[in-house]
Amino acid sequence: MSEPTTPLVFASAVTAVPSPDIGDAALVLSDRSAVAKWVVRAGAETNAARTLPRFGTSERAGDVLVAGSRPGEWLMLGAPEPVADRVAAVDTAGHVSLVDLTHSRAMFRLAGAQAPHLLEKVCSLDWTDAMMPDGAVVSAFVAKVTCDIVRRDDAGTRGYLLLSDRSSAQYLFDALVDAGSEFAVAVGPPKVGV
Amino acid sequence: MQRLATQPGEVIDRSRPLPFTWNGKPHRGFAGDTIASALAADGVRIFARSMKYHRPRGLLTADYWDPNAFVQVGSDPNVRAGHRLLEAGMDVSAQNVWPSLEYDIKAANGLVGRFLTAGFYYKTFMKPARLWPVYERVLAQFAPGGTVDYDSAHEYFDKRYTHPDVLVAGGGPAGMASAIAAADAGASVMLVEHEHDLGGYLRWGDGAQRELADDLRASCDAHDGIEVLRNATVTGRYEDNWCAVVQRDHPHAVERLIKARAKTLVVAPGLIERPYVFAGNDKPGVLLSGAARRLMNLYAVKPGQRAVVLTANADGDRTVTDLERVGVDVARVVDARAGATVVAAHGGAKAVESVELSDGSSVDADLLVTAVGWTAPTSLLNLAGDRPVYDPQAARFFSDRVPDNIVVTGGLAGDGSAAELVEHGRATGELAARRAAVVAHTLQRLTSRAAPVADDTAQSMPPDDRSPLTRDAHPELFRSSTHGIVDYSEDVGSKDLVAAATEGYDSVELIKRFTTATMGPAQGKLETVNTVAVLAEARGETIAEVGTTVWRPPFAPVTLGALGGRIFEPVRVSSIQPWHEAHGARPILAGQWVRPEHYGDPEGEVRNVRGNVGIIDVTPLGKLDLRGPDVAKLLAHLYTNKWAKLPVGGVRYGVMCAEDGVVMDDGVTGRLGDEHYLMTTTSSGAAGVWEWAENWLQTEHPDWQVHITPVTTAFTSINVAGPNSRELVSRLTAIDLDSDAFGYMQVRRGEIAGAEGCFMWRIGFTGELSYELHVPSGYGLAVWEALLEQGADLGVAPFGLEAQRIMRLEKGHFIVGQDTDGLTRMPTVGLNPLIKLDKPDFAGKVELREAVEDDTLPRLVAIQPDDPDIVPVEASQIVRAGTNEILGRITSSRRSPTLGRSICLGQVAPEAAAPGTTLTVVLTTGQRISAKVMEHHAHFDPDGERQRV
Repeated sequence: MSEPTTPLVFASAVTAVPSPDIGDAALVLSDRSAVAKWVVRAGAETNAARTLPRFGTSERAGDVLVAGSRPGEWLMLGAPEPVADRVAAVDTAGHVSLVDLTHSRAMFRLAGAQAPHLLEKVCSLDWTDAMMPDGAVVSAFVAKVTCDIVRRDDAGTRGYLLLSDRSSAQYLFDALVDAGSEFAVAVGPPKVGV
Repeated sequence: MQRLATQPGEVIDRSRPLPFTWNGKPHRGFAGDTIASALAADGVRIFARSMKYHRPRGLLTADYWDPNAFVQVGSDPNVRAGHRLLEAGMDVSAQNVWPSLEYDIKAANGLVGRFLTAGFYYKTFMKPARLWPVYERVLAQFAPGGTVDYDSAHEYFDKRYTHPDVLVAGGGPAGMASAIAAADAGASVMLVEHEHDLGGYLRWGDGAQRELADDLRASCDAHDGIEVLRNATVTGRYEDNWCAVVQRDHPHAVERLIKARAKTLVVAPGLIERPYVFAGNDKPGVLLSGAARRLMNLYAVKPGQRAVVLTANADGDRTVTDLERVGVDVARVVDARAGATVVAAHGGAKAVESVELSDGSSVDADLLVTAVGWTAPTSLLNLAGDRPVYDPQAARFFSDRVPDNIVVTGGLAGDGSAAELVEHGRATGELAARRAAVVAHTLQRLTSRAAPVADDTAQSMPPDDRSPLTRDAHPELFRSSTHGIVDYSEDVGSKDLVAAATEGYDSVELIKRFTTATMGPAQGKLETVNTVAVLAEARGETIAEVGTTVWRPPFAPVTLGALGGRIFEPVRVSSIQPWHEAHGARPILAGQWVRPEHYGDPEGEVRNVRGNVGIIDVTPLGKLDLRGPDVAKLLAHLYTNKWAKLPVGGVRYGVMCAEDGVVMDDGVTGRLGDEHYLMTTTSSGAAGVWEWAENWLQTEHPDWQVHITPVTTAFTSINVAGPNSRELVSRLTAIDLDSDAFGYMQVRRGEIAGAEGCFMWRIGFTGELSYELHVPSGYGLAVWEALLEQGADLGVAPFGLEAQRIMRLEKGHFIVGQDTDGLTRMPTVGLNPLIKLDKPDFAGKVELREAVEDDTLPRLVAIQPDDPDIVPVEASQIVRAGTNEILGRITSSRRSPTLGRSICLGQVAPEAAAPGTTLTVVLTTGQRISAKVMEHHAHFDPDGERQRV
């Protein structure tokens, strides 16, 4: 039996050629698929459920974003090691399960003041600050693809993390670029971070 | 008509002349002109021929609603010349005329007009029915409209969703004032104006009115809280103020359909001027007063030389003033308020020459302007449940009752000076903003992700505290003593309506459908009230008693492109798809999945798997991660067989039935840990099975502790099949693959080709020794390429879906949905041993208890045609010999490269299911062939020796 020989590098679901010069582009779409993504499921009676953010909201601690994606369900997103630490810290007493979805989901970040206007073209939700403030979490169809969406502003720049099934990722990425053409959307370099 | 000297409110830019052609002849207009105004300024009086009688038609309203000004622009048919702005180089032509607009041969229809009354088509072309195809071809020659160019480019249409606090439909004085007041109160406002600019009737008004419009327009444009959409229309209002807005001029799309969820809708579309019915009312040269004023004041077009003006209101009076100002000789002002009226317009076929008045006199004129009142476009209110009520004093309809999230202002609400309308608009905007705030508060309170509200108690809607507008008295003027055209778009006259009423079509909804009045492109904007009035007169009733039709969406026509918008058709691909594309795989769409059907030679791929080793990308196989102490209970409930004793490391096949016992899915499930399982489903069944399982958990068994997580694409799935598969896989993993250590229907976890977190199981859909590898998807392509690299000396090659289908058919494995249908209960597929009726309960148990005893159910059997070279197409009927009595059908068929003959699966009646039975199969050619029922489902290796090695 020979030794494994494949040099393994995480391959994103998306072929995205970064724009040559994104400069101070008002709208930037970038691939964050290499971010570690775990899902935590916990019954309402568990300690885990009591300590994690409520449904529809998110919290960031260090390099890890924890998002209440559905009742009794949370996403933990970030660089692999911090996320692994955070997952390990979840109180698993009771009916709690932890599943690694890193390879199952693609993730994009859409950032810039025009981001809501792009999203208005592909999704029926209300993106105003009142209904979707910084930190809000929602599930919705985006260009007919089911996505988890987290509003995640960064240094005053409005931004959204979009998580989709890996298999639809290239289609979704292309749909977002197409929708963003009227706003001169730029494709940023891939990054591991939230 | 001719171009006037510069007018104070004109919107044309005389420094930008625009050349264009009309019916092939050169013309010139200016930027800001509509097609109609440019043509009118160049002396054109006839724009179209009417639909049925091909009567010459000139401008009537000179705006979007003009029923007589539909033209072809290049490849664009049915362009509204009264609205579309002129562009340089436009190729404009008249529609559906031959040989020319001036001399149209189809005008001969007018000679037999008395035979072409309402119902002519219905009555004439009913019999004999066999001639309808002939009728249809002839009638098509008379169909109105322009010419569609099927080769024209597919243009970019777009969609957008938005959630304004206040949506204002209409940018006249009241609408603009509403928008400003609402935005001043902190609301986000979308202001939608149908025309090319804000201002409504103020745009073609006097200096003070234009100044007011300029001020309001500037305020709207400058206000951060107002998004102004010009040349856009609110075409419909639906439940909870879901409003459709069509935006016609957008720099990035031909049209954009905006779906606006407004917290409050302000309806302020203004009023639409109504034509007057009299003999000759459709002759070129008969204009509505608004049209005359728009032509003079916006486009600097002199609408005629000598005019008669029929006026019943102040707008008619102002038209007289404007006509005299621009040098038109106003020969007679006929004041309807004093009881005078017009009886007929006379002249040649192509223009008015004289006007006959009710006092018996006749006045020579080339222009007749009428100002007899308005239609209230209550469409958006109708859609909210309002049933407008007719007010005879004001001679128009008003809204009755609307929901709290709709507020009405402007002409729909009443009359007043511009200042009074603005004041009412302001009050409306403030009310709309207050009500929108209550809706917003409720939404935020009830939505977990929303920003928290300070006061978490429910709020009630503020009452309507506005001072109402007054209603001006207006004479009721609908039809003169003569008959004329009521619906210009459909060529329906008042005489047609009276005849229809006499025939018994005496309800307004019936007469509308019988005569098609109000059903043309204007959709009732000009003709509804006149239709109702003529019907009321014919029935001897009042308009209020007759009532009105219910306006339905869209308020204005919408292109199919706008409704389609951007076409979102998601596709799914596995992580190996780039390799498939690069290596010539022929793609096939399976649901949303793009999969390789084959790589050029599917039968060769089969032979390679049977002789060496092949690999196939089976990523779309549905995969559900199941965790919790009660997973075994769930599995036992979903599947018909038992699961309690499946050991860790074991894999078991199961069939899932609906509660009626019909097969809904099948697959294998492996036990990865004490409380951890992985279920696979059919590729197309993944979402349905997940929903089915969650449904049981959340409704019948909420006490069961199971978490289901779909992980279909978390893993790239690769089936390695063939006699060399063990050797190949062993080169990539340290997992012990010896058959004693890793037997058939077992699962192992470990590292494959350096990828951690993998698992594999031994199963066999192809009938060969095979390993199904499940690799974290980010490494899927690397593992695929490693298999090809490491297996080169073993003859490894990829195979596609077609080869897999052939091999599974050789093995007699059925496919749910292919070999089963919506009525196939489990005994049909021959798996009764998997139905464990001694279990306490499972989905479908009650039905299956009966079904297993039912000897009338069809049976799935393997079939081989006697002629090995004939492959009956799938769905070929199986009949009783010598008859047409259907006994079953072929469900799957292929040529087997392994056996060198045709093979099939089929469902047959039980009396024809015994091995050795000769069946008659009807081919698509009608030829009947004989075929035999085989002993086993498997045509090849029925004992499974090859897959268990």
